[in-house]
Amino acid sequence: MSGTVLDDIELIIEDVHGHNGGKPPSRDGDDGGGDDGGRDGNSPEPRGHGSRKYSTAVAVAMLSIVMFFMVLTAAFLVLRTEPQNLHTWAGIRLPRILWLNTCLLMASSATLELARRRLSMDESRGFHRMWALTTALGGLFVVGQVIAWRQLAAQGVYETSRMASGFFYVFTVLHAVHLLGGLCALLYVGWHKLDASRIGRPLAVEVASYYWHFMDGLWLFLLALLYFGQ
Amino acid sequence: MLRCGHKQTGLRYLWLALFSVVLGMALSVAMRVQMARAGSSPASEHYAVVTLLHGSLMVFFVLTSAPQFGFGYFFLPLQIGANEMALPLLSGLSFWLTLAALVGIAGSSLLPLRLGMEVWLFAVICFCFAAILSSVNFCTTVTDARTYGMTLTRLPLTVWAWYVTAVLSLLIFGILLAACALLTSDWFFGTQFFAGGQVHSNVALAALWQRWFWFFAQAEVYAAMLPCFGIVSHLIATFARRPVFAERAAVLALCGVGVVGFCVWGLHMFSSALNPYSPLVFAQLAGSLGIPASVLLASWLLTLWGSEVRLTTAMLFAVGFISLFLTGGLSGLFLASRDVAVAAASTDFVTGHFHLVMGVAATFAILGALFFWFPKLFGRPMNETLGKTHFWITFAGVYCIFMPMHWLGLLDRARGGVPGVSAGGAARTFITTAAMITIAAQVIFLVNFLSSVWRKEPSTNRNPWHATTLEWFLPSPVPADDFGNRPPCIYRSAYMYGERLGGLDFLPQHVSPEQLAKLR
Repeated sequence: MSGTVLDDIELIIEDVHGHNGGKPPSRDGDDGGGDDGGRDGNSPEPRGHGSRKYSTAVAVAMLSIVMFFMVLTAAFLVLRTEPQNLHTWAGIRLPRILWLNTCLLMASSATLELARRRLSMDESRGFHRMWALTTALGGLFVVGQVIAWRQLAAQGVYETSRMASGFFYVFTVLHAVHLLGGLCALLYVGWHKLDASRIGRPLAVEVASYYWHFMDGLWLFLLALLYFGQ
Repeated sequence: MLRCGHKQTGLRYLWLALFSVVLGMALSVAMRVQMARAGSSPASEHYAVVTLLHGSLMVFFVLTSAPQFGFGYFFLPLQIGANEMALPLLSGLSFWLTLAALVGIAGSSLLPLRLGMEVWLFAVICFCFAAILSSVNFCTTVTDARTYGMTLTRLPLTVWAWYVTAVLSLLIFGILLAACALLTSDWFFGTQFFAGGQVHSNVALAALWQRWFWFFAQAEVYAAMLPCFGIVSHLIATFARRPVFAERAAVLALCGVGVVGFCVWGLHMFSSALNPYSPLVFAQLAGSLGIPASVLLASWLLTLWGSEVRLTTAMLFAVGFISLFLTGGLSGLFLASRDVAVAAASTDFVTGHFHLVMGVAATFAILGALFFWFPKLFGRPMNETLGKTHFWITFAGVYCIFMPMHWLGLLDRARGGVPGVSAGGAARTFITTAAMITIAAQVIFLVNFLSSVWRKEPSTNRNPWHATTLEWFLPSPVPADDFGNRPPCIYRSAYMYGERLGGLDFLPQHVSPEQLAKLR
């Protein structure tokens, strides 16, 4: 008897691949976790094979990046406020080009939003122009950071000189590394022929923009930390 | 090569864990032999390298990798009705990074000390990236790839555990990565964050490394244990043929372990340069971990209460896990209290405690999961008689190894903890003998495992345990495209046992009410 019923169930499993002719149950509603509930939803299909997974993945990755930089920030604050460092901390004078770099990065965020607007209005040429400008501004920011490091080195301020300079190099280099990842994403999304069945350009642009704005915010935070922490 | 299917990734992780556990156990034999000769923990450089290698292999590639990445990659998509992880590229990438980390860590022990440390550091960085990428993949998959009707309340507890662990791992491996970045800067670029890499040269700076390390390491214990909690809950419900008692409370307890486990990082830093009030806070937090742990324990025991338990090998390992978790957890209460910890905790006590609760208990959960899911992994079950023989010898053996260690720890402290003078010579000999027998008994497992893998025997039953979750209704081994191009629908929670359906006592998650009516 049990074998027969099990066989029946296994045969039904062949049909488990479908919706048994009925309306598919919702994936998101609260059904009470019990038997047979949740059949009134209208989720058309599991989203993992759709669009939202990329947004989720970037959001989750940003959480880890936040944690990473928070630990570096905590290290800075702990060492900065150590009793032996409190009054003897030798800060560094931030290179002026950092302010210009900051403006470039902020401008890149603005142009990125303009690019998104062009895309939503179906202006392909306008989108590509603004996207290229965003990428160029991002690239200029990285070049500007390199110039800042060279200026500091010219003044004899190296990563080994003092604790403050060590933190300056660590923060700025690690931020630049993360930003280079964002630049790669901009280049890929802007000029690579995307497989529309997996991810359309509007979504790719949206996901890339989240990361880029996040890098902007992160830089503002690090700059404030370096400025006020000296 | 990088883009890798979830089943292949899961199996690769399991093979990697098997290799690591064999190597790790061989190293532990070497350590016991060396200790037996020296009479106590030898202070030699080589002994320290072997200890580091043993710990690194076991923590990173067995306890972290097997329950979360091994079983998680294989079964998470199957249990939520997805055909693949949300980001298959990350699956492959994280595995190859983990393999690189294993090669680096194992190879570092053969190199000169300084070079070996540098290679070890880069290997750990690789593992951090692998863990973060996997965690992003897990979080995204559970959030966005669930099938129709798979609401959060219907997720199996294994999936909940993998999910919470992924969130926790995302945070703690970020911490370890940042600490490693600072150490790399010290070693290769001459900065002074940890006093130029000479960690012990300055108490305050050494404390900084300690903080970041323990921020990771303390939570890592829970990252290793959480998937085991989920697996054990799942096994107990399946073999007790009962719904998980207070399932929602158990889910909240899993989340509670994750949250509180993340916050207790200062627990073992009583003698470092933390604020003098901090031990009070951390001891309270550590004590509060007892609440979710008790909820889980109550859930397991009350699920078992009055049930008709099927004592399969998988179930034996699950019950063994509860026993070890309880025993190890009780000694953890001593360590959570600052005064008692300072008075009682010596190396042997701590070693006994964390091997019982983290090492052996987690290994029991991994073995339970392996026996349970083996038919789905390889298409045929493992031998139950050999499995039970292996269980009983191992169960008795680990108690004989690690319980006397607690006693030795107390004895050492009572004698003043004089370095180089160790108490309880007979007990140490007993421990070494028990370790040899227990490790020798693992040959039974290896024979059972390998012969079952290579046995050419077609699968006859896709659901030998009469379980309810989706993976059991796919053929064994699972077809390449899992559910194909039509995802399944879910109609009920994962633990509907005891409900009669013909001659069976369970309701599969995916059978619709209309189909049930026909079957009844």
